[in-house]
Order: sequence, then C-alpha cells, then structure tokens
Amino acid sequence: MSLVDEDEALIAAALKGSAYAWEKLVKRYESKIYNHGLRLTGNSSDAMDLMQEVFLGVYRNLHRFRGDAKFSSWIFRIAHNKAVDMNRRKRLMTSSPKFSSEDEGGEFEKFPGQANLEPEYRLGSQELNTRILAMLNALSMDQRSIVELKVFQSLTFDEIAELQDISANTVKTRFYSALKKLKVVSEKENVLS
Amino acid sequence: MSCPKTQYLLQEYFSEDLSAVARDELDRHLSDCAHCNAELESVLFVQRDIQQWQEQSVPHWDRGRELFRREHRAERPLSQLWLSWQWFPTAASLAMLCVLLFNVSVVSNESGFSVSFGGSSGANIDLRAQLAQFEQAQRGEMRQLVARVESRQDSNNVQLLQAVMEQAQQSTADSFDQMYAYFEQQRLLDLQDMRAGYEQLVDSDYETIRSLQQLVNYVGYQGDIR
Ligand SMILES: [Zn+2]
Repeated sequence: MSLVDEDEALIAAALKGSAYAWEKLVKRYESKIYNHGLRLTGNSSDAMDLMQEVFLGVYRNLHRFRGDAKFSSWIFRIAHNKAVDMNRRKRLMTSSPKFSSEDEGGEFEKFPGQANLEPEYRLGSQELNTRILAMLNALSMDQRSIVELKVFQSLTFDEIAELQDISANTVKTRFYSALKKLKVVSEKENVLS
Repeated sequence: MSCPKTQYLLQEYFSEDLSAVARDELDRHLSDCAHCNAELESVLFVQRDIQQWQEQSVPHWDRGRELFRREHRAERPLSQLWLSWQWFPTAASLAMLCVLLFNVSVVSNESGFSVSFGGSSGANIDLRAQLAQFEQAQRGEMRQLVARVESRQDSNNVQLLQAVMEQAQQSTADSFDQMYAYFEQQRLLDLQDMRAGYEQLVDSDYETIRSLQQLVNYVGYQGDIR
C-alpha cells in the first residue's frame, strides 16, 4: 500500500468514526506541519497554534476531501490559509504599524514578534535551527512562505502560484530575491561570528 | 564584472518546467560567465544551508482526540459526562439529597409553595417518608437507565450507570449512614436488575459486550470491597 493509499484508507476509517485512524493520520503529518509552522513563524507557541488550527480545519473538512489531490497537498493548502489568517489576525491584534521589509508588499508581512526567538532556540543542540530561523526572519512573509514551500515542501513554482494566487513569474522572482537576501544575511552572520 | 542576464537566468534555473533547449542554453552561459556561475554557487550554498534544518519533535498535544470522540459519541472520560444532558437524572437525585441533608421543607398550600431550611417551618418532616420517596424516585431512575441501556445498547450509558452509582456512593459517604445503607441496598438491587439485563445483551456487538464486561467487573469489584 502506498503512502497516498494509506492516507486515503485512514481518512475513510476516520470518517466512519475511527478515532484510532484519525490519530494515526494526525501522527503522520503533525511533525511536518509543526516544523512548517516553526519555520514560518519562528517560535514554537505560534507553530503549535498553527498546527492545531490546521488539524481542526482538516477535521472539519475531512468529508470534503475528494482524493483528486494528494492529502499532503491538501493539508498544506489548509496550512497556508491558516498561516495567512493567523498572520492577519496577529497584525490586527498588535497595534504596531504595518511595515514592509521588501519592495514587493503583499498579503503577507512578518509575523509580529517573530524576532523574539525563544530561549530553547538559542541554546545547545538547536543551534543550527536557530541560525536558520534567524536567516528566515530577515525575509518578508511572502518570501518566507515561498522559500518554505519550494525548499522544504518541494512544491513547483506553478503549485505555489496557484496556492498564493499570484503568477508563476512572480513566484520565481520572489524566490530568487529571497535566496539573494538569505545569502546577504548569512554572509553578515559569518562576518559577525 | 556583472552580467545583465544573471537575474533572469538564475530565476529560471530553479524552474521545474524549463525546456531542454533552454536548459542547454543556461548551462552554456553558466560555463562561460564567471559572474553568473559565482552567483548561482552562492544561492545554491545558502539553499543547502537552510536545508540542514533538523526536524523538531512536536510538543505533547491531544491530537483532537477529545473533539473526535465527542462528535462520534465514543468513549469519553467520566468528567466529560458532567456536561451532558444524561446527567439530568443524577442532578435530580443530588437536589433530592440536598433537600434531605439541609432539612429543607417544601410546603404546598393554597397560596403556592414555600421553601424553608432547617425544619423551622410548621410542617414536620418525616425523614423516613422522604427517604421512601427518594428510594422510589431512585429506583425509577435506575430502571429508566437500565431500559435505556437495553434499548440503545450504548456504551455511554453503561458508563453513565457506572458514574451514577459512583456518584450515589460518594454523596452518601460518611455522615448519613442510614442513607448510605439505603443506597447500598438500592444499588445492589439495581445491579441485580441490570445483571438480568446484561444477559439479554450478550449477543449484541463486541463493543457493547466489552463495556458491559467492564461494568460487570466494576460491579464485582465494588461488591468485594464492601
Ligand atoms: Zn552571466
């Protein structure tokens, strides 16, 4: 049984009321979604919030899942929508003026407060992730999201374009400028350390 | 030093649907142009750099288990039952207990009802009569619950019965020996009734049998410690 078939079998069982199947399905994706959230938001509490919202969304819409797309793409679509919502909500809640760190503004801005990395990321074994998060922090939310989808989720430019409702060319441009920016940040860091 | 094609070419480099011709052209330019080549190396380096991300484990969470179980009416912890309508009968018995414990008298006359505490009203409360009344109410409730178990064969209700019995025990503990004895007797009577009921359920589905088995064990256990 392929992973995709297994997903579908679990979904069918969960829809029939099997709590076991539901948990198994969640366990298969929770780590991916949590780490996705960590890279997008830069802190574990927002990542947890996002993950829980994603699975609630999955749960509420499970009966709408048709199997014409892969479950993994579907769940990342939900994750994307939740991240956009969450970012918008956070911006409304923090009265700090909206700023755009890049030339291209969009629906994404940075997650407010994301610069404050939690202590756990500053210390010990997570040093590598801390450095990566610090680099990602330099990106606008648009760029960050595209880097996440392209580099970590291996989506194609077309898929990202569809997900974000922008042209594939815009995605390409933003991705390349994101990489350039990451390069600058990493060089700066290397000089400092 | 710089090259006018860098931006466009490197953007295309990461494209998945580049034609073979375009890919050849790109490769040729990259081998000829030191600037574009260096640029590509540096962005590839940074991409590899962030790809070193170490998966972090998810902090403990409930995985929507509660939500799922609530909505699919499967097993849930007893504490959850407090929120459910099925507690109405027990709430009624608790109210009844309060009436007894605090010696509340409800006097009905032409002008309506009057409620007083501590038995200071004219009506003389006969605890025995109240107990008898309570007993009847309790028996009625238990029968209803047993009937519900039989008719719906719902594991929730088996749990509810368990909870009702636990609750009844807790409420009567310590102070009111008399009531305790009554409850105990009542409980055993009701359990006998229920045991008779279980036998009829034995050929139902596995889940029900398992829940009933648990209840039977529970009942046996409770019987042993007394
Ligand atoms: Zn060039």
